[in-house]
Amino acid sequence: MQHEQAEKSDTVVTWEDQQNINKFSKLNNRFHELEDEIKFAKETNDNLEDAGNELILTDEDIVRFQIGEVFAHVPREEVETRIEEMKEVNSKTLEKLEKEKETVLAQMNELKKILYGKFRDSINLEED
Amino acid sequence: MASASAETASSSSQIATAAASPTTERRGIPAAQFVEDVQTFLSQLDLDVNSALAFLQERLQQYKLVEMKLLAQQRDLQAKIPDIEKCLDIVATLQAKKEEGEALTADFEVSEGIFSRARIEDTDSVCLWLGANVMLEYSCDEATVLLQKNLENAKASLEVLIADLQFLRDQVTITQVTVARVYNWDVHQRRIRQAAAAAANES
Repeated sequence: MQHEQAEKSDTVVTWEDQQNINKFSKLNNRFHELEDEIKFAKETNDNLEDAGNELILTDEDIVRFQIGEVFAHVPREEVETRIEEMKEVNSKTLEKLEKEKETVLAQMNELKKILYGKFRDSINLEED
Repeated sequence: MASASAETASSSSQIATAAASPTTERRGIPAAQFVEDVQTFLSQLDLDVNSALAFLQERLQQYKLVEMKLLAQQRDLQAKIPDIEKCLDIVATLQAKKEEGEALTADFEVSEGIFSRARIEDTDSVCLWLGANVMLEYSCDEATVLLQKNLENAKASLEVLIADLQFLRDQVTITQVTVARVYNWDVHQRRIRQAAAAAANES
């Protein structure tokens, strides 16, 4: 998965440059992984919201709540509490992921400046 | 001439190893040698440009194979971890119910699309599937301890695996950059030779 190419015409590539390129590649991979994780966390968030709404609409006292592979019969209030807890955990995770994504993007932009500064047109750091 | 180039080759290889990545290989993955200067690299390997490019391409293929394997292992681990967490959740729920003194009613899947109701009363012990057609009965506490340990091992393995993948990707990047540089060096050399030949023809 190579989206960057370094072509040296007459510029010398030092070990430091190579390390910068490696770091950029790692950051780019992490960025894509984070995007997937954030998408998954957002979906989970939506699902929990829907579950919460359904719970309000239903008038049953015992709700079948999925734990692992089975559906346990759980009183409605406990289900409400559980869903609230899960929503809390999920939004914290989502926040952490978003923050990490911003840090990664910032570092990538820094590296882009350095590498473009040295190699100008000989290097391409954009997505295809 | 030969001894002079051998000297420069050995001194540049010393420089290369000093400047190159600190490890020569990691868990069976050979490290890619960082090239300070294409000319000395080629004379050190004693290969012409095409053979060198072929050698580097072959390295890239090997790296790709290892990457596939590691990615598959990573997917397996990433699926295993939520499974273990679900098991821990159930054991915790059973223990909570036991403290309340109530039986747990649950609907479980008998076959695809068909569910049955079960009432779980005696929750002092659980049976854990250990793999290899073996299932053992544990007390709830022992089960929690075992599952926690499995979870931690899985997470630790995943971390090591991710570090391996990062090392591998670095080597791939280094090799790709080397390929580009060797190719460009060759193009550069050809241009010089053509210019020299043109100048010789004119004079």
